[in-house]
Formats: sequence, structure tokens, C-alpha cells
Amino acid sequence: MNSSEPKQQWLIRLQSFWQTFSKNRIGLVGLAMLALLILMAIFAPLIAPYTSSSSAEFQVGDIYNPPSASHWFGTDDAGQDIFSNFVFGARISLIVGFFAAFISIIIGGVLGLVAGFLGGRWENLLMRFTDTMLVIPDLPLMVVIIALTKPSLLNIIFVIGLLGWTTTARVVRSQTLAVKSRKFVLRARAVGAGNAHIISRHILPLVMPILVVQAVLVVSLAILNESALSFLGLGDPTVLSWGQMLNYAFGRGAMSIGAWWALFFPGFGIVWVVLGLTLLGQGLEQVLNPRLDTHHLMPGRPTVRKDRVEAQTKFTKETVLEVQNLSINYINEGKPPARAVENVSFTLNAGELIGLVGESGCGKTTLMLSLLRLLPSAGQIVDGRVFFNGEDLTTISDEELNKIRWKEISIVFQGAMNALNPVRTVGDQIAEAITRHMPDFPKDKIQARVIELLDLVGIAADHREHFPHQYSGGMRQRAMIAMALACNPQVIIADEPTTALDVMIQAQILELLDSLRKKLGLAIIFVTHDLGVVAEICDKVLVMYGGVTAEYAEVDTIYNEPRHPYTQELIKAFPDLTKPKKKLTSIPGYPPRLDNLPVGCRFAPRCPAVFARCQTEQPILHNLGNSHIASCHLVEASK
Amino acid sequence: MSKDAFLEVNGLKKYFDATGRPGLFSRDTRHVHAVDGVDFTLRHSEVLALVGESGCGKSTLALLLMGLEKPTAGTIHFEGRDITHISEHERKDVRRKIQMIFQDPYESLNPTQSIEEIVNEPLMVHGLGADKKERDERVKKAMEDSGLKPADVYLNRFPHELSGGQRQRVVIAAALVLEPEILLADEPVSMLDVSIRAEIINLLAELRISRQIAVIFITHDLGSVGFFADRVAVMYLGRIVEIGTMLDVLEKPRHPYTKALISVIPVPNPRLRHERIILQGETPNPIDLPTGCRFHPRCPVAIATCKASDPPFVILSKTHKAACLLLVK
Repeated sequence: MNSSEPKQQWLIRLQSFWQTFSKNRIGLVGLAMLALLILMAIFAPLIAPYTSSSSAEFQVGDIYNPPSASHWFGTDDAGQDIFSNFVFGARISLIVGFFAAFISIIIGGVLGLVAGFLGGRWENLLMRFTDTMLVIPDLPLMVVIIALTKPSLLNIIFVIGLLGWTTTARVVRSQTLAVKSRKFVLRARAVGAGNAHIISRHILPLVMPILVVQAVLVVSLAILNESALSFLGLGDPTVLSWGQMLNYAFGRGAMSIGAWWALFFPGFGIVWVVLGLTLLGQGLEQVLNPRLDTHHLMPGRPTVRKDRVEAQTKFTKETVLEVQNLSINYINEGKPPARAVENVSFTLNAGELIGLVGESGCGKTTLMLSLLRLLPSAGQIVDGRVFFNGEDLTTISDEELNKIRWKEISIVFQGAMNALNPVRTVGDQIAEAITRHMPDFPKDKIQARVIELLDLVGIAADHREHFPHQYSGGMRQRAMIAMALACNPQVIIADEPTTALDVMIQAQILELLDSLRKKLGLAIIFVTHDLGVVAEICDKVLVMYGGVTAEYAEVDTIYNEPRHPYTQELIKAFPDLTKPKKKLTSIPGYPPRLDNLPVGCRFAPRCPAVFARCQTEQPILHNLGNSHIASCHLVEASK
Repeated sequence: MSKDAFLEVNGLKKYFDATGRPGLFSRDTRHVHAVDGVDFTLRHSEVLALVGESGCGKSTLALLLMGLEKPTAGTIHFEGRDITHISEHERKDVRRKIQMIFQDPYESLNPTQSIEEIVNEPLMVHGLGADKKERDERVKKAMEDSGLKPADVYLNRFPHELSGGQRQRVVIAAALVLEPEILLADEPVSMLDVSIRAEIINLLAELRISRQIAVIFITHDLGSVGFFADRVAVMYLGRIVEIGTMLDVLEKPRHPYTKALISVIPVPNPRLRHERIILQGETPNPIDLPTGCRFHPRCPVAIATCKASDPPFVILSKTHKAACLLLVK
């Protein structure tokens, strides 16, 4: 059997879990609080100065003595040492808590898993049962059941356990439903796996983290319930739990005597364990549920370094946007900064369409966001200028930049479904784009403007009353374009606007963008990884690789006289239907990680024409005339 | 059943209930005609491309072939045997021989499993491999055949540590480990960068030669299958409208829909920019099918009779047929 290997896997996973968890302060505090209590319960006979026994008649001190050196927590109504009772009481509370929670978790887990996995009639039946159980108030029901049966510790554990599973069932069911619909479950079915296999190998591992968090919370609930029952006098009279201690103190005049210690210390124990468990649960949730994790790329105010080289401006009238030697770093705590974009320049004239091409992670999104200073807070413009109509966007104030964002330069994002609000009509959302950026826009003309914008992008006016889910993928992308056009911008940045679309819809969107730039004189930056699309509509192309310009030229030059090996390889990798028999060449390897760039040319590890110099020296941008730029040592040699 | 066909699909239909939960007395149940009468055959180690826009039923067809959905009508024969309605128990052997590759390599791998567990899982499910040593060897061979070389580097990694292209290779390895005879690839490259697409397609092309695997390649992008497919079937609204060899379809398309699809495929050369036939609107919803030819509302060359009569297949050559009234002589 191969039992040794999975165990090692478990160990690795446990280690990696601990690595993350040990950085979570809330969880650690909770764990420490709980660990302290558990140790106290285990070593109770060693810690407690007196052997505790609620039934024993022996007295160790006077009745209701305040805390003193000999009795740290004072004495109770029977003259017993409260500290000793407190230490032993922890045992009872924890035993009830853990065993009752165990029962609840098993019942709730199985019901939730079965309901979520089977679905249909079973799910309906089980979940209606769960809902019914959920609306019955737990405590009164427990009181009734305990009152009718013998209040022994075992009974209490079972009653609390049997009534405390409802939330677990619901949580587990919803997680099971979510996991069940994921593609890897379908893939396992396609492989031939049966239900038992799918549950144990695919559903359970993904439900488990949530179940662990839930278990911690159920334990604290069970401890609270036991305390409440004992306090009400329904606890097991043969053992002394914290609730029982409170019950005795309360019932035997501790309040009237002013013996606060008889109530405070058991109460403190309950608060301590519940707080500890809650913190632990919260910590576990943060670690196990990655969606709650805060990303290091949180939006914030990116910085612009002031000590940059002076700009040299040489605009012509029709230049709308000119990017000069732009470099962007991501600050990495404790590590050298990631050089996400380095020394990139391009110009964009009115009515021009430039293609920004590169693989994922080549810096194209960073470059695009930096134009409007929308970088996450770790991003820093370390060099270069962005001129918009002669104004340097890297130096102007936020207020001034706000006059340009969306009004002069707007963005069409990829994934139109996520960018639209699902509960508002598309017309409303376009109207909002108008009013938010142009508060002075006459109110009575907004509807007419919305209709005009929709007409521009080819959506019939009556569709403005529809919600995004009633739109197809292509129409949503059109609506996004209408929104970007709301304030008559001069420049539109289109970030992979056709990536998720079918070829026919892609063709429709390309046709639309092409007609808009002709009709409105728009300048468009088209960000894409798809060379075919670029060839269809762009005037100029900027090919980026690993954050630097590989090649920049007119579109015809890029396709027919590419000089950079990366451009050449990219074109060969693209299927060309005019040569259907030709085998595609692929570029072996992967783009470099921005935090681990090669010393020399960034493309050297994948380049088919690599030679010694490429490994040590980063090529400069060579101007080949006619605004054709390529950064390759081979170009210099042949110049 | 034709002689050299080893997968044969006849009159396959799948209707989904579109009424939600019908009331006790409602009579007119509405249907989504996801797959509405599909016939084709697949030969040994042949690559068949199934092309169409979203909503044309190509993904439902894949699920039907995998036995993950039950067809409403029609039959599927595999190696001469009717597998349309066999029990899950009987299907197990078929499942080993027909494996599927999914579109999204990010979603189709379980994030909690290591690469070794993922690739080993199919062996476990089918109880294959005499001992651990043999299973390890098969896992490693499948991974290296899928381009994850050397396999040892990847065995203990998890999906999130791999790039998109590597993940798709893991999915392919998990299919290969069973030594299947048919690979059903549903948009296997559409989520990947262009430079990586070529790698995955080349890999499939190699496997087909080295392992004699037949491939059904489902895609919306005719361009991506060009050199690799032997035959191409174009689907529209649940039906195949044109089928032929790759050169038949790409160089002499006869159905107006195929012509439009081919015209919009981007050509990576600005000198070859050409007139594109851009169909307006999108595939109509498959609940209320158009009368007559189901393509006529979007067809740029439709004539009056297209509204009325459903076109039959017109045999254009030994290998090529298309369903269009304009081709009927």
C-alpha cells in the first residue's frame, strides 16, 4: 500500500497551514487562550490546591471568604476553594463542549453534505427539516427535554449535540453546492469516478476548512448552552461545571452578601473560553477562506518619484497622448522592487489605433493603469512622462487628473459581466456614468444622451430598460463601450475587450471600435494578447515582453519585417488560415517573473537566436528609422 | 454502420426543459433544443473539429458523448456497440477509452490535490496498475508525454503553482494516463495566451500520431484548428450545417454560415485585410427555433423559400456535404 506517501502530503499541508496561521495574530491569541484552558483542565489535580467534589461535605475554609493568599478566588457557600472548583469545572465545560459539538458537527455535516450533493427531492426534504429545527428555540426545548429525562452529563451532551447541528447543516450544504458545480467534479465524473469517490476526494477536502471553522463556533455554543442549563438548575448535580457554580452561588445568596467572587470567576471562565474559541474561529476563517485574504495589490495612492529626468517635448498638433520612457516599479517589502515596466515610449495621434501586445504578465495592464495613475499603492512611476495634449499627467494634481479620467481618457475593461451592476438597468448605469463625471449635464437631456450612446454602439433604445443578465456577452461589451463614450473622451483604453467572446462577436466589436474612431476621431489603445486582432484593425503596434518594449512599429512593419525574435516567434505561433497546412511553432518556456528578471535580455531564456552577449547585457532600444524601434542585440549588429 | 467508423452518432437530440418546474396542469412544455439531430462518424486516430458559436450546442454534444447527459433521442455507437443507454457499470470501460479535456484549466483541477494525486486519480478510479511502482511509472509517462518534463519536478506541486499552459498539460496527462482511444477537447486553448495555444495544439497533434488517439476538438475559432484537423463539422443551433475535410471546409466553404465564420477569422497580416462577412446579432435562443432553415434570419443570402423549408444535406463530394437550399439543384 502507498500509505506512507499521502501521510507525507498531509504533513506538508499541515506545515504550510501552520506557516500561514502562525502569522495570524487573532487566531494565535484565540489558540493560546484555549490551550491554556485545556492544559489547566488536563493537569487539574496538579494545579488545584484542593480536590474538588461538589458532593463532598468537607469544608476547606469559611463560607464566602473573599480572595486571599490561601484561597486565590475566595471560597463559596460551602466553604470550598473556588479556585479548585474553577480548575476542575473547566474539565466539565470542555468535555461537554467538545463532545456535544462532535455530535452536532457529524449530524450537520452529513445532512448538509447529503442534501447539497444529492439535490432535488432529498435536498428539499432535508433542508425543510433543518429550517424547522432552526426556528425552534433551542434553550426552551433543551430545558423541556432535560427536565423530562435524568439530568446526567451524558444526557446533557446528547441533548445539546442533537439540537445544535442546524447551522452546520446549512453552511455545509451551501459549500457542497458550490463545490459540486465546479468543473473538476465534472472532470472526475468524466473519468468515471462514482459518488463515494467524488465526495471523499473532491467535495470533502473543500468543505473541510469551513467545517473546521464551524466546529470551533459550535464548541463555544455548546459550552454556553451547558452553562445556561446548569445555571437554570438542570445540570448534572454530581459534577461541578462553571454553570453549576454560578447556579449554586446565585441560589445561595452570594449576591445579597456581596460575594462577587463566587459569581465572577466561573463567569470569567465562560467568557474566556467563548472569547478564545471565537477568536480562534475568526483566525481559522481568515487562513482557510482565501476570499477573506487581503490582497497586496489593494487600491491606494501610487507615488510618482520626483527626481526624474526632465522631459523633452516635441509634440505635433495631432499627438493626443505621448508616453516617454515610462518605468514603473512595484515596491516589494523587504525585497528589491519588481520592475514591471521599463523605459516604454509610444505616441498616439487622434483617430489612431495602437495595439499593445504581449503575454499575460508582460506589464501591459500596469502600463495602461499607470497612464491615469490608477496603479495599486505598491506601484510607483519611477521614470518617464505621460503627456496628454501637452500636459504631463504624472505631475498634475489629483483634482486636475480627475478632470481627465473618464472625461478625456476612459477605459473599457475586459469581462463585461463583472463590470456591470447586476441589479440596475443598463440605461441607468450609463446615465450614472454621465452624471457622475459631468454633474452639470442638464437632467432633461440625460435620457436622450443615453439613447444616443446606445445607438452609437448598436443597441436598440428599448434595451436600455433591460438588466445586464438579459444582455448577451457581446451586448454587454457594447454597453461597456457606451459607458466609456459617455463623456466624449478623446482616448479610449480597451483592455482585452474581445478576449472572452466568440469570433463572430469579436468581429462585431472590432467593427464597432473601428467605426467609432472614424466617426468620433477617437484614439484607441487596444490591449490584447491576440496578434490576429491587432493585424485586423491597428495602425501601430507596441509589442511588450517582460515589462520592456520588444518592438514598436507600424502594423505592416511588425507583420512583414519584424526584427525582434520575440515578434517573429509570436507571429509564427499564430494560426494563419491562409496557410492551413503549416505547423504552428510554439515559443518554449514561460515569460519571466517580474521579481526575478534575467540579468541580460529578458527574452534570452526563450530566444531561438540567443548568443553570449544576451545573457549579460540588456539590449537598448534601437531606432531603425521610420519610428521602428526594436530592443535586440542582433538589430544593432545588422544596422 | 459504416465499416471504418469507430464512433458513430445518429440523429442525436437533447432537449432541456425550459419551463422550469411545470405546473401540474400545464401542457405545453417548452424545450431548449440544445442538440437537435446530429449525425457524424469518427474514424480511428482521426481529428474532427466541431466548430460553432456559443449556444450552438457543441458543449452539450460533448456531454452526451461522454455519457454525462442522457440524450432525448438518437444513438451513439462506439466500437460497434450501442452505448446510448448503457448502465453506469457498463459505461466504466467506455469511460476509460473516451476522455475529455475541459476549457478552463483553472477550474478543472481540484486546488487541494497535488499534481501526482490528480494524474493518479483515474488509475485509482479504474483500479488499474498492479502495484504502486507500476502506477507511478504510468503517471510519470503520462506527464512526460504531456510535456511536463521531468515529471519529478511537478509531482508534488499544486495547481496554483503552475501556469495556465502547464495546468492544461496536467489535465491532458490525467486523461492520457488511462490510455484512451478518443480525446474530447472542449475549447482546450481558448483560455490560454496565443503563444501557449500553439504548444497545446502541437501536443495534441503529436499525441494523435504517437498514440493513435482520435480527437474531437470543439471550438468557436476555426482558425485554431486549421492545420491539425482532418475534418471539420460546422454547427449552428443544434445541428451540423456543413461537414467535410479540412481543406473542403476552409478553402471551399459552401454554407453561408461557414463562409461568414471563415471570413471573420483574424489573419495575422495587415496586407491581407479583407472584406469580412459580419453576421449581425447572435445565435437566436434555441427555445423558439426559426421556421425553415434555422440560419435564415441572419443569413446574408437568404431567399424566400428559406423561411419555409428546412434544407436537407446536399452531397457536394465524397467527403463534403452542406445543408443549404441554395445548393439544391
